[in-house]
Amino acid sequence: MSVVRRHNVKQGGTSGTAMVFAHGFGCDQNMWRFVAPAFEDRYRTILFDHIGAGGSDLAAYDVERYATLDGYADDVVELCRGLSVTGGVFVGHSVSAMIGVLAAKKAPELFASLVLVCPSPRYLDDDGYVGGFTRPQVEELLEFLDTNHMGWSQAMAPTIMGNADRPELSEELTNSFCRMDPDIAKRFARATFLADNRADLADVKARCLVIQSSEDVIAPQEVGAYVHRHLADSAFALLDATGHCPNLSAPAETIAAIAEFLREPSGG
Amino acid sequence: MEDLEDLFENAPCGYASALPNGRISKVNHTLATWLDYPAGQIVGRRFLDLLNIAGKVYYETHFAPLLRMQGFFYEVALDLVRADGTTLPVLVNAVVRKDATGGVRFIRITIFNASDRRRYEHEMLEARRIAEAATVALRDLNLNLEARVADRARALERAWRLSPDLLAIADAQGTLLAVNGAWTDLLGWQASDLVGQSLAGFTHPDDLEPTRTALSCITTEPLIEPSEYRLRHADGSFRRFAWTGAFEEGQIYVTGRHTTVEHEQAAALARAEEALRQSQKLEAVGQLTGGVAHDFNNLLTIIRSSVDFLRRPDLPEDRRVRYMDAVSDTVDRAAKLTGQLLAFARRQVLKPTVFNVGDRLRGVADMLDTVTGARIHVVSEIPDEPCFVMADVSQFETALVNMAVNARDAMNGAGTLTLRLDNAGNLPAIRGHSAAPGRFACVSLTDTGSGIAPDQVSRIFEPFFTTKEVGKGTGLGLSQVFGFAKQSGGDVEVESEPGRGTTFTLYLPMIDGEASELPATTRDSEGFPTGEGQCVLIVEDNLEVGRFATQILEDIGYRTTWAANAEEALEKLGADGAGFDVVFSDVVMPGMGGLALAKILQRRMPDLPVLLASGYSHVLAQDGQHDFELVHKPYSAHQLGRILGRMVPRRRT
Repeated sequence: MSVVRRHNVKQGGTSGTAMVFAHGFGCDQNMWRFVAPAFEDRYRTILFDHIGAGGSDLAAYDVERYATLDGYADDVVELCRGLSVTGGVFVGHSVSAMIGVLAAKKAPELFASLVLVCPSPRYLDDDGYVGGFTRPQVEELLEFLDTNHMGWSQAMAPTIMGNADRPELSEELTNSFCRMDPDIAKRFARATFLADNRADLADVKARCLVIQSSEDVIAPQEVGAYVHRHLADSAFALLDATGHCPNLSAPAETIAAIAEFLREPSGG
Repeated sequence: MEDLEDLFENAPCGYASALPNGRISKVNHTLATWLDYPAGQIVGRRFLDLLNIAGKVYYETHFAPLLRMQGFFYEVALDLVRADGTTLPVLVNAVVRKDATGGVRFIRITIFNASDRRRYEHEMLEARRIAEAATVALRDLNLNLEARVADRARALERAWRLSPDLLAIADAQGTLLAVNGAWTDLLGWQASDLVGQSLAGFTHPDDLEPTRTALSCITTEPLIEPSEYRLRHADGSFRRFAWTGAFEEGQIYVTGRHTTVEHEQAAALARAEEALRQSQKLEAVGQLTGGVAHDFNNLLTIIRSSVDFLRRPDLPEDRRVRYMDAVSDTVDRAAKLTGQLLAFARRQVLKPTVFNVGDRLRGVADMLDTVTGARIHVVSEIPDEPCFVMADVSQFETALVNMAVNARDAMNGAGTLTLRLDNAGNLPAIRGHSAAPGRFACVSLTDTGSGIAPDQVSRIFEPFFTTKEVGKGTGLGLSQVFGFAKQSGGDVEVESEPGRGTTFTLYLPMIDGEASELPATTRDSEGFPTGEGQCVLIVEDNLEVGRFATQILEDIGYRTTWAANAEEALEKLGADGAGFDVVFSDVVMPGMGGLALAKILQRRMPDLPVLLASGYSHVLAQDGQHDFELVHKPYSAHQLGRILGRMVPRRRT
């Protein structure tokens, strides 16, 4: 199966510079439905689903490969090469911001610019580092994931009845936008919330924009500031918008910030 | 309006309204009560502020985006955090209310208490988890069980295949259902030759009945005592097997141990034992020979010197009578001696007979003089009352000689040997064997010899144990004593004091009864019998004996004709034996011999009496006397005359 089919790639826009949009934990490429169209006039927009999310090929999921964010970064590299992306723009939300950082490190030729929306190199607090989550909180989160007590109540029935292999029964009814295989979602959460990619920030050569939301329980302002501080070449945009998904709650403000960053001359 | 207000505030579900920026603008009393917050403290906060950490993450990553994209979400399971930090499981519905231009007016949030539902879900998940664990455990158990069953089956198959014994499973009728490979190895049959066939078809015809009996009993009781019978080999020969088995669930399980070789070994052992007994006897005979020769020479010396005196013409009558008596007595003693020797050396089937120990002991005691030599004084202490035992006489005598020889050697040829019979004894505990009840004849031989060292006492009955020099003894003597005693239901005890002497005591169980042997003595009470001129045909190959017999018979009143062998005798007798009144023939002669002659005459001339003479009872012991009159050599003129007088009809005067 081609990379395009495997990742449910949707391309739009012109034949100009490639602009790759990557979604975070919880949703699929629909996350960019209010933002990506704004760039179609100048860019070749590329939207895709991570394996396990949206319309991706679930059969391609490999427990070991996706146990850490590296596997997802490898996918991005493979996908972009498959689509002949060079010197493009990578726009990553949430955990995909760091996936973009890793992909850029693996294949620097792919992206000239990285737009990191609500990024976090490490969610867990550490000595002298505020990640936003204490260890008990992360453990509580992972435990809830494991016990299936949170989330779509309709998903509980198939879990109890043992037909979890047909999650579409419940998912289709309630949710046509944020589809994710429950088992893969759990593993993705684990890979996300236990990751520590702080050291990778220094290796990024591309221009970066850090977009920080005003009130974000998942990626607090301290974290955005940390990312900005540790990147070699980055701009920092603090939005008025609140919440972890300004691309949905405040698309105009988000678009403006990205557009402004892309308008600035390289190195400026 | 007041009614609606009440409905809003006190409905059984929580209500909250949020502004487009996500901040709560209004909550009802129900929700505030659930969370234990004053309503005022909730207003102004974001909805996700009411959630636990996992709920916050889920809300931000899943439900908030959905609400933005599709305008609602239904039945999301979340935990709200109460004022005291405890959580309240809830189901949350949310819907975006928009104005005419499509702008968001507010978000309506409805919250249901899901405590019970969450608990059920929890229990059901737990039940499912347990069921899954049980399924896994059951599967593992089954796999494990299968593996163990397979292991066990392999082990059983191996035991079945490797068993050197015949193993078989048969139905209750004896039809073979399964056989192991030993059948091929031992009997040459393939399993296909056997399965489906009746075991009886392979059983030796003579063993069929015992086999049927054994198999019919097996259904009620396991066959533990091996039942032995023969099976036919593929080559037609028969092999012996000792069978054990059991009957379970309608099938017979049997094991057959091959015993043909054991039987062959047992037979070989029996032959070896017989040969050993014979050699033991020969050993004893050999021991006797020297003494007998010496004794015989003594006797012959008496006879010779007596005869020399008798030849003197001037011998006074009283001296003549004394010498004549001396010769006669000496001959008697010599005859007795040879008789005992012959009886002793006689090859006969070993069989116990009832005999009087005292009589036998006296007989042997006389003979022992010749064994032990002149410097050993033999003393007999034998009570008169009869003492019967059941044992092999020949073995008994051999045992006595063996013990006597042993005593002689212990005394270095000089001393006293005491034979004692105690016929009211019992069997004491000997060598760890407990004492036995009942009366035993105790025959003891006590010597005044060197004794036996204590460390050797326990070994003297071992075969081939000997303290004698090479060539002086086989070491079989005392082991024969021991074997004889044990086989006869008795025992032998040895008491020895080094330097003082040794006593061997032979214990034999006494029985009530009469001796089965015939009295050996005959009395010469009648007057000297004489013939009346009847004609005797003497058949004798030995010149001296023939001459002597001729003279005796003529001296006592018979006429004689002498034939040197049986063939010549037949010639002289002619067709009807006319002129002869009786035939007196030696048994052992070259040619047809006396017995064959007697048989011919018995057939041809039934009225002509035949008297046989033999010095060697072996021949007649083998063939039987065939009802012929017999006189044992050496015979006296008196004996011969008496027998002929009885046989030969008187001449009609």
